[in-house]
Amino acid sequence: MARKLTRRDFLRIGVVGASATVLAGCKFPRRWEVLEPYVTPPEEQLSGQPTWYASTCRQCPAGCGIIVRVMNGRALKLEGNPEHPLNKGKLCARGQAGLQVLYNPDRLEGPVRQSKRGSRDFQRVTWEAGLNTLAEKLGAAGGSVAVWLGSTTSGHLYDLFQRFLSAVGAPAPLVFDLYTAFHGYTVLQQVDQQLFSQAQLPSYDLGNADVVFSFGADLFGTWLSSVRYGYEFGQFRSQELGKRGLLVALEPRTSLTAAKADKWVPLKPGTEALVAGAIASLIASRGFGPAERVDRAKALAGSVDVNAVAAAADVPADELVRLAQIFVQAERPVAIPGSQLTGQPNAAEASAAVQVLNLIAGNFGQPGGVSFTQAPPAANLVKPPVATVSDVNDLISRMAAGQIQVLIVHGANPAYELPQKDAFMAALGKVPFVVSFAPIVDETAAFADLILPDRTYLESWGYEVVSPAFGTPIVGSQQPVVMPVYDLRAAGDVLLTVAKAIPAAAAALHWNDEVEFLKEMIAQLPAGAAGGSGSSVLWSRFLQHGGWWPAQVPSQPAQPAANLPAISAPAPQYQGEESQYPFFLHPYMSMFLSDGRGANQPWLQGAPDTNTSISWQTWVEINPTTAQKLGLKKGDIVRITSPFGSMEAGVYVYPGIRPDTVAIPLGQGHTDYGRYARNRGANVLRLLNPQQGAEGHLDWSTVRVKVEPTGRRMAMATFEWTEGVMEGFPNKSIPGY
Amino acid sequence: MLKLLPRSGLWRWVVGVFVIALVIVAAYFIFTSRTEAQSTQQPIAFNHQVMVGMGIGCLYCHSDARRSPTAGMPSVQLCMGCHKVIDPQNPEIVKLAAYWQKGEPIPWQRVNVLPRFVYFSHEVHVSVAGINCEKCHGDVAHMTVDKPVVQMNMGWCLGCHEKQPNAAQLTDCVVCHQ
Repeated sequence: MARKLTRRDFLRIGVVGASATVLAGCKFPRRWEVLEPYVTPPEEQLSGQPTWYASTCRQCPAGCGIIVRVMNGRALKLEGNPEHPLNKGKLCARGQAGLQVLYNPDRLEGPVRQSKRGSRDFQRVTWEAGLNTLAEKLGAAGGSVAVWLGSTTSGHLYDLFQRFLSAVGAPAPLVFDLYTAFHGYTVLQQVDQQLFSQAQLPSYDLGNADVVFSFGADLFGTWLSSVRYGYEFGQFRSQELGKRGLLVALEPRTSLTAAKADKWVPLKPGTEALVAGAIASLIASRGFGPAERVDRAKALAGSVDVNAVAAAADVPADELVRLAQIFVQAERPVAIPGSQLTGQPNAAEASAAVQVLNLIAGNFGQPGGVSFTQAPPAANLVKPPVATVSDVNDLISRMAAGQIQVLIVHGANPAYELPQKDAFMAALGKVPFVVSFAPIVDETAAFADLILPDRTYLESWGYEVVSPAFGTPIVGSQQPVVMPVYDLRAAGDVLLTVAKAIPAAAAALHWNDEVEFLKEMIAQLPAGAAGGSGSSVLWSRFLQHGGWWPAQVPSQPAQPAANLPAISAPAPQYQGEESQYPFFLHPYMSMFLSDGRGANQPWLQGAPDTNTSISWQTWVEINPTTAQKLGLKKGDIVRITSPFGSMEAGVYVYPGIRPDTVAIPLGQGHTDYGRYARNRGANVLRLLNPQQGAEGHLDWSTVRVKVEPTGRRMAMATFEWTEGVMEGFPNKSIPGY
Repeated sequence: MLKLLPRSGLWRWVVGVFVIALVIVAAYFIFTSRTEAQSTQQPIAFNHQVMVGMGIGCLYCHSDARRSPTAGMPSVQLCMGCHKVIDPQNPEIVKLAAYWQKGEPIPWQRVNVLPRFVYFSHEVHVSVAGINCEKCHGDVAHMTVDKPVVQMNMGWCLGCHEKQPNAAQLTDCVVCHQ
């Protein structure tokens, strides 16, 4: 029988306990720290003193300069490089999160191979075995090799791969990823070639403009060079004599850019070009502004029925008139064709219809206008040319036809980011040997036979020819800021080593390592803003200052070709019948996860979205009136179905969107790519047309969808309550907003 | 006995659980915290007295004290620079050589601890103010085992800062609490 616990026993225990606490206090517990000195110290290292290295950010293709704070051989903080002429010391959230690319726990620690594709049963192999296998396969493949690179693959790697491929008689590497495809880089280049005889990405001098019309360009989110546009916006808002500029955002959803704009024009998706055409035509017919602008408008604008446009775009006709007045009467107006236009089936005509406004304004090469930048004075320094969707489909069909023996993938993840993923995967099955250079097993690497993980960008060498460069030719430098975390070989060195074993390529790739090659390439540049003379000094300055740029900003390229024909705005083309698919789908690039490459970085996953404050999830933004009509509230899971596929996500009731449009961010829905990305949210790309490519670019912005409740609910990881925002909406009394 | 608590069974258990929790917490602190004596148990019985007796100055090994916020610990390489030939048979030097062989750092236990919210720079004290190491670290030259000599607390710091010609500046909060 158990002894009954008496009050006396309690007190006894209490006294013992209390004395134990007092005794513990008497022994002066101290903080316990271990000081671990270096075994062999690096020469320049002072304990307790950080070292800063300059390099180039690789989280998107913009090419911002970064400086990295390194303490005792560990990278601790990334900041913008204040000397760099592109980003001028600024850096975005994605750039800041680069440390988690370097110290990601899911990184591969060495080369691996798998005997069955997709099994994810990876066996570690030695570097020697990995390199020998690659050399053997490449030697046997001859010219039937294809190389698929991403837009953030360093210029020197593109160059080396190109030299290798041309030596073995294969086509140049294909540079294609979702970032450049979604923002329509190839379309912008095509339009600029047509209108300005410049086949490069345009720069818009926001800082000196007084009126900016953004047609679906998320300038401050992810569009082209968002850090620079953020800086420009600061200039734009604090001009001389207190002028703060007027920003008009014409897009179906309030993006971060529209939220910062003075006016948001929520036009119907796909009608951006019509509205631009109507503005041009109103300038020509009503003759509001200066005579030379009106004359140019008369020559360039097609005939437009303004009332028909107003009805099609759901923008009142007098609003269009007002916009035309504002634009033409401004001192330095500029119009920006954004990704909403370059994602349409008729992207080139649609974008040209907006660029025409810049021709009418006559702002080419002027302060506050559109401009292009001269190439750096070294012919062999390349900005890898981005491929079109037609090129991608061409490669896929060559793969499917068994013409490719070895496929090498570096810096791209086609198995995740292609709408035509199924065709790609089927074609991949016909390729006998697939090699990936991914540092983390992504969807494509999961189907590779051999993974030779490359060093991440903070551990490796490279250069970046910046484009758009905003007037100053820039070659950004990339250097290792820390020792590689694992025993990894740089992809450039792997290629140079393997090429030695392939007779056809050995002479073309005669360099001992990639640094030797890089030095030779950089030595072609004259002394830049950093000064110095002699190749070793110039190389050191190139690394020290974060790149090369000239001391004097060179003049702009020549004026555009005169006598252009009148450009008429194309009518919108939608994918899907309105009766069956009543809503427009508006996919947009998440500011943090961008095209999905940020999904493996918990800082980016956890950062609340700028407009909805949701993190770690995929959501569907639905207007409050639509939500009320469909009986939906925040957290209800809906199925979104397009003519091409369907997906599920939680509803976020968002007043900043048209009632006939639903918006879904890109970036989630990974099946691989590490613990933070895997099995999280859904991939909106599965709603897009898998038969891409008739027009040579990705068309994503005019798909129609339907929305069906599933009856299930999910908890939304939101940071903020939208109660106050809902004032004025009819259904503000519905609980759950 | 005073009737502090009602005699109901529930209360007994509440107090009992509280007392047991208290004992567990106390035990946790007793067994996990390190006392001063424990924390100065070094992986190698390093003897400052011998080193200083040989005429080696503090800054030979703690050379960063002149130009960095932290004094720094000498690298294993620096130790081995001399001990490859000096007294290699000594059992403590054998331990040192083992770290060098394995390429591992020596896990020295920190002796002088400042709270994290205090900004302290050796460089300013050593190179600008010209203060001797002994002023804060005691007569390490005659210690066989290095021990903290002064309680490095705010009063002690201010005791010196107040006596300086620019005391007004040096007693400002943000001098140390940056």
